[in-house]
Amino acid sequence: MDVTLYALSTCPYCRMTKKFLDKNEVEYELVEVDLLEGDEKTDAVATVKELSGGTSFPVLKAGDEIVVGFNKPKLKALLDL
Amino acid sequence: MSAADERPVRRRFEDGTTIEDLRTYMAPFVATLGFRFNDDEEFVEEVLESELEILDRDGDVFCPCRVRTGDPKEDVKIVCPCIPFYLDQFSAMRKCWCGLFVRIDVEDGSKLHGVIEVPEGPVEVRVVAVEDLADGQGRVVTVGKKKLALFRADGEFYCLANVCKHWGAPLGEGYLDGYFAMCPWHGWRFDVRDGTTDHPDADVRVYEVTVRHGEVFVTV
Repeated sequence: MDVTLYALSTCPYCRMTKKFLDKNEVEYELVEVDLLEGDEKTDAVATVKELSGGTSFPVLKAGDEIVVGFNKPKLKALLDL
Repeated sequence: MSAADERPVRRRFEDGTTIEDLRTYMAPFVATLGFRFNDDEEFVEEVLESELEILDRDGDVFCPCRVRTGDPKEDVKIVCPCIPFYLDQFSAMRKCWCGLFVRIDVEDGSKLHGVIEVPEGPVEVRVVAVEDLADGQGRVVTVGKKKLALFRADGEFYCLANVCKHWGAPLGEGYLDGYFAMCPWHGWRFDVRDGTTDHPDADVRVYEVTVRHGEVFVTV
C-alpha cells in the first residue's frame, strides 16, 4: 500500500506523525508542503484540500484512505500496526 | 477590570521577537475566548518557536499546522490565535487545532494532543466571565456564526435566542425587569427562564447555561 504524508515543516503534530511512522518502520513518501514553491506548492495545497476538505495538517493517505491529524488509533488501524 | 480591557495593542512584531513576547501578547486575547496556553510547556515552546520561524519567513504568526492559500480572506483565519474563527469547533475539541491553546476548564492539556475530531452533538462554549455581566443586565454574545442574548437575573445566567419574533430586534440589547427581558424595539416581554412571551407563537429558544470557575458557558 502506498503511503503519502502531507506535512508542514513547522507543525508539531506532523513531526509526531513522522516519528510514529519511522518508529513503526512504515515506508512513506513525505511531502513538506510549506517547503515547496510555485506550482508545486499550489498543486500540493490543492491535493490536500481535495483529500481532506481543508488545509490542516498532517494529512496521511494510505491507499484510498485518509487520516487527518495525529490520530494514533486511526493510523494504527489503517496501517495494521 | 475584565480580561478584555487588558488586551494589548497589537504592534508590528520587531526583529528579535521572543517566545515570551508572543506569550504575553496572546494570553489575554485567548482568555477572553475561554482558552489558555496548554499545560505542556515543552509543547508550547515548540509551537511558539515554529511561529517565530513562520513570522520570520512569512511576516506574521500563521498557524504552524495549516498552510497559507494565498487568498488574504482565507489566510487571515490562520493567524494565531485563530480561535475566533473556529470557536465552536475548538470549544468542542477543547483545544485549538495545533493544541497551543486549550479550553480554560481542561485539567491536563497534554492529554489532548491526539484529539483532532469534533465530537457530534451539543457543544459547550464559554461566552463571558461572570464578572463581565452585572446582575440585572443583558448583552448579545457571539458563538461562532450565532448571536445569542445572555441575561443575568437574580444572580443566575440565562440565554435566549437573540431575535425577537415580532420584528427581529436583538433581545440582548433590551433591558431586564426581574426575570423578563424587554425587547428594545417594541417592549415585547420574554421570560428569560423559559423563553415564553405573552404573544402567541412567539416564544424564543432557550439555551442551557453552566457556570464553572467564574466562567459562563452556553450549550449550543
